[in-house]
Amino acid sequence: MLQHMVDHPRRRRIGLLLALVGLLPAGCRAGPAASSQGPAPVTLYTCVSDSTIQPVITEYKAAHPGAEISLFRAPTGELNARVAADLRSGGLKADVIWGCDPLTMQGYVDQQLVGGWTPENAADIPRHYRTGSFVGVAVLYLVAVHRRGTPAPASWSDLTDPAYAPVAVPDPRVAASALGALSYFANAKGYGTDFYRALKHNGANQVSTPDLVTTGVAQGLYQAGMTTANSAYLAKSKGSPVEVSWPQPGAVAVYGPIGLAQHGRDSQQAKDFITYVVSEPGQQVVATAGSYPTRPGVTGGPEIPSGAPVVQPDWPAVSADRDRLLDGYQSIFGS
Amino acid sequence: MPVAAGRLRSAARTQPTSGPATRGGPAKGPVSQRLVRAVATLAVAAVVVILVLYPLGRLAVVVGTDTSGQLFGGAPVAEVLRTTVALALAVTAAAVPLGTLAALGLARSDVPGRRVLRVAIVLPLLVPGFVLGYSWTQAYGRGGFTDFLFGLPWRSVQGPAGVWAALVVSTVPVVYLLVAVGLAARAEPELARAARSSGAGPLAVLVHITLPLLRPSIAAAAVLSVVSTLDSFAIPQAMGGSGDFTTVTMAIYRRLSLGSDPAAFVQALALALLLVAVTLVVVVPADLWLGPRLRATRGAGPSGPVAVPGASRPHARSTGTGMHARSTRTAMSRWISAGLSLYLVLALALPMVALLAAALTPAVGVPPTPAHWTLDNFRSVLNARSLAAFGRSAGLALLAAGLLTVLGAAVAVLERRRIGRALAGLVTVALVVPGSTVAVALLISYGRWLGGTLLLILLAYLAKLWALAHRPISGALDRFPPGELQAARASGAGLAVAVRTVAARPLAPALLGAFCICGVTALHEVTMSVLLYGPGTETLAVIVLNSAEIGQIGPTAALSLLLTGAVLLPVLALWPAIRRLRTR
Amino acid sequence: MTSTSSSHSEAAPLSGGSAAPPDLLQVRNLTVRFGSVSAVDDVSLRVQRGEVLALLGPSGSGKSTLLGAVAGFWPPEAGEVLLHEVVVAGAGWGLPPERRDVAVVFQNYALWPHLTALDTVAYPIRRTGRRRLAARTEAASILELLRIAHLADRRPAEMSGGEQQRVGLARALARRASLYLFDEPTAHLDAHVRGLFLAELVARRQATGAAAVYTTHDAEEALGLADRVALLDNGRLVQCGTPEQVYSEPVHAWAAHITGAASIIQPAGLLPPSHPPVSGLGGTDLSGPVLVRPGWARFGGTLPGRIRGVRFRGPDSDFLVETPAGEVLIREPGPPTRPVGAAVEWTLTRAWPLPLTQR
Repeated sequence: MLQHMVDHPRRRRIGLLLALVGLLPAGCRAGPAASSQGPAPVTLYTCVSDSTIQPVITEYKAAHPGAEISLFRAPTGELNARVAADLRSGGLKADVIWGCDPLTMQGYVDQQLVGGWTPENAADIPRHYRTGSFVGVAVLYLVAVHRRGTPAPASWSDLTDPAYAPVAVPDPRVAASALGALSYFANAKGYGTDFYRALKHNGANQVSTPDLVTTGVAQGLYQAGMTTANSAYLAKSKGSPVEVSWPQPGAVAVYGPIGLAQHGRDSQQAKDFITYVVSEPGQQVVATAGSYPTRPGVTGGPEIPSGAPVVQPDWPAVSADRDRLLDGYQSIFGS
Repeated sequence: MPVAAGRLRSAARTQPTSGPATRGGPAKGPVSQRLVRAVATLAVAAVVVILVLYPLGRLAVVVGTDTSGQLFGGAPVAEVLRTTVALALAVTAAAVPLGTLAALGLARSDVPGRRVLRVAIVLPLLVPGFVLGYSWTQAYGRGGFTDFLFGLPWRSVQGPAGVWAALVVSTVPVVYLLVAVGLAARAEPELARAARSSGAGPLAVLVHITLPLLRPSIAAAAVLSVVSTLDSFAIPQAMGGSGDFTTVTMAIYRRLSLGSDPAAFVQALALALLLVAVTLVVVVPADLWLGPRLRATRGAGPSGPVAVPGASRPHARSTGTGMHARSTRTAMSRWISAGLSLYLVLALALPMVALLAAALTPAVGVPPTPAHWTLDNFRSVLNARSLAAFGRSAGLALLAAGLLTVLGAAVAVLERRRIGRALAGLVTVALVVPGSTVAVALLISYGRWLGGTLLLILLAYLAKLWALAHRPISGALDRFPPGELQAARASGAGLAVAVRTVAARPLAPALLGAFCICGVTALHEVTMSVLLYGPGTETLAVIVLNSAEIGQIGPTAALSLLLTGAVLLPVLALWPAIRRLRTR
Repeated sequence: MTSTSSSHSEAAPLSGGSAAPPDLLQVRNLTVRFGSVSAVDDVSLRVQRGEVLALLGPSGSGKSTLLGAVAGFWPPEAGEVLLHEVVVAGAGWGLPPERRDVAVVFQNYALWPHLTALDTVAYPIRRTGRRRLAARTEAASILELLRIAHLADRRPAEMSGGEQQRVGLARALARRASLYLFDEPTAHLDAHVRGLFLAELVARRQATGAAAVYTTHDAEEALGLADRVALLDNGRLVQCGTPEQVYSEPVHAWAAHITGAASIIQPAGLLPPSHPPVSGLGGTDLSGPVLVRPGWARFGGTLPGRIRGVRFRGPDSDFLVETPAGEVLIREPGPPTRPVGAAVEWTLTRAWPLPLTQR
């Protein structure tokens, strides 16, 4: 029968087949077309958590009717890979990059992918949270999380004490906050890479993200760990059996900068978005969403406990040293 | 028979209207027909080249001409490869016996709860691999379900042992299906009865008759198990992601998605090519050995065209491999039923319950008791981003399933000619080419223009799943009685009318089945999507994977359940329709 | 139906003398059910050593199901099966086939596709614990016996239907059972192979004294081969007796038709006083229907008729004669001598009155 069908095909059948084959490209075209309706959307690459970025986008769109944001959200490591992939296939596709640490961002600036413009309202942000190429719009504080019932570590070096074993640390190749911490400790007096070596010696486990550190401590897999204040406080507020501490010499402040891509398609829309995030209303949304804003005087967000010590890594100094830092770290925790 | 007669009658009824129209056909001459056929073949061939041949060729060329000298530099390639192959062999060594035992056990007609068990055993196919793996970590890991209830954590569930176990669970249904089909097709009850009445006990029948008859099916299942394990990404990533345990697919993902230096990229390409080479080393010899055996019919003799009056007498109690006193018979069946039930509870039910508990629990470390239950996690993940991703996933799955059904049918029809057979072979190759390789090949071939678009993801689905659609349709065409179309045409129906009135109904289950299997697979596909997505083109499965990587258990569990529901609900909705079509 | 039961309720062989030998097989009130369908319904049968019993019936009459219950493939719903006077199956239970002294030849041969003919025939011998070499030697001798030694190395896919059939038979013979069960053994055989096979079966039976039960829907075969014939219809036993009995004295019209060519006429008022006596009708009330087999009437005589159809059958010819009592089939040796439409006279030599209860 089938032989028969093939031997004497009727026009209609083959015609149908052809029509369907023809339909393939048409149907495929529907794919990207569907995602690019309306005015060309601003493509935003970010590593900021969903709980922060979604309200910001929502409020921005409410304030700018018709604006569209196309979002790529991933941890810093993946963001780097995405940028590299873009460069391999014809150039960066982002219009705006909102990173989680200034080192990564400076890397983009050095590659001439980002920079050349900061909004006028950037002047309102403290000096140590901005450069000529990008502006910090949120701060991550790397704090210590520990199981309820375990005494709070007074200083970071306490984590090398067997009483806190096992400890969990986030991966600086994945998480910007961990990279920031590495940047600080590597050059801090009494710490250096020896601090990480001591942690490893004490049975420290490396997990990929700060959230995994918090989760692991909450589950009882680890006694303590380094994580972001946001992650730790959120878990605690929801009932996880964890406590948060800001050990001496201080929680490491890692600011998340926003910057304009140099070869974006529609820089005006991109600039509008950046200006909004830096502005007071934008910062208010950041704060309400649970992140620490950089703009002074914005309230309603999470607060630093009074008297809690905070330290700032020397960003310009470490940015030249980034690869050496990661290599040194890799020699301790690398697999 | 009455059904066929009815079809013929209906075909005959349509004759007066369709007759004159089709009778005009042959006058137009066979030349135009041949032309049309050639164009159709060329069109399908072009799609094969675009989807399969060119990307794979390009991958080989790029890797082959790489001069960076870093192809295998800095990466413990040998170790990753060894891990992957060892995992594939270990999974196969466990899944094949388990699936075979399940098929043999459930072939007995008197197993309590048989109907439910036969459906339940294949359910893991409908649970996305990532969700299955993740649910196991929630059920058996530290701080998981058994840890909470009995203080019994299985510490190595997040590692090679856990990956192995979850892969076994996800592979058993495939083995089960293949062996069950082989059992129905090859090991007829008569053959077992012949052995019993030759003096063989149940065990001897199993060893001497049933298993040897199933050898091709079991071997095919083993090959498929090895290939699918080599291809697996979601389960290893979900369960082995944080340790030193790395498979080739994980290494490709890490190099592409986490590495930003050029060396990582070429290493990913090299790994992708290596993976397809390893797969072919397994598949090609197996196909050469198995192909003829799986295709072979029973040759001359009873199963030939001889119609035997009375041959269709009832085969109820069809295992018929003899009987003992009633009590021992049911005892054995009860053991089978209990064993399978226990397996399903441990492998699927408990992990799913643990996942639900994790999704309902507000935070990690809070006891999953009803007092603490909340829908907060579901609320938090049902945001604009995941809803949009769900829309994309559903749209992609529907579009891919529709196109794949058409493409599968096209190759199945063209395959009846020599050139079509070559196409079918190529399409089948794409199925065994690991998803990671397909994605990487498409990325370097079309990434410059299509990188990060849904179209590229769609192309990947089409390339990888084409054979999945082609196989069932081709099988249905093979089984379609050759006389029926001719009878309809002899009754005066034109080809189109004959196809519509006679062929459409019997082929409908295969078409619908192909659509479903492609839709389901596309819906929970993550291996390729995670390598290909870009801004605004994440699928739901990618969101789930990302959420797990960030490390938020509650939201990930909630997303996992939503993803599973998105896969299960349409299938459950379509199931009655498929069944109805099958039984007619 | 009830009126017929008396004639076969005790289906012992005719030869049953004063000291009847013990039965090899007894089937007592056997009922087999598949779901709600009773495939075999309250059947009782006996088979003695050396005896061949044919189960004759149309397809779907329950012959094969009955055979399967004796072989041990499915348990009875009710009733018992006894082999060598030992109960091997009762309501809901049964010994497995391998523990019954029974060999089976399957309708579809049921040859194992992965085994050669030699290994197939050696299989039952191996199951008795014999070593491989010994089993193969014996299997080879059985193949030799059936003149299929040349098939030893072939698998089923490489054999014709007849060859497969003989390998299936050889496998059953290798079992060395007391009772052989043949499920439609000749259904797939052409006339030539069938003749060979039947000869083999008879030879085997004479050589070993084994008994056989076989199912068929071919009346000639059943009558020609079996010591006794059991008629089955819809799972029920209709009649059981010697071939002569079931052929000449069927219990009703259906039984008459299933056992061979049958004319059923209403002779009331047909036979003039001058008509010679009809054997089988002495003193019988002629008001009801009677059975006339093809050889029971001949041309010539006084009864009127007209030829409606003629069929040449080789050694003889059949004439369908229209008579006032109904149509009668008359068989004469040689090629046809009378044309269709010719008026003829004929004589009834023998008849068998059928009960009025029609099936």
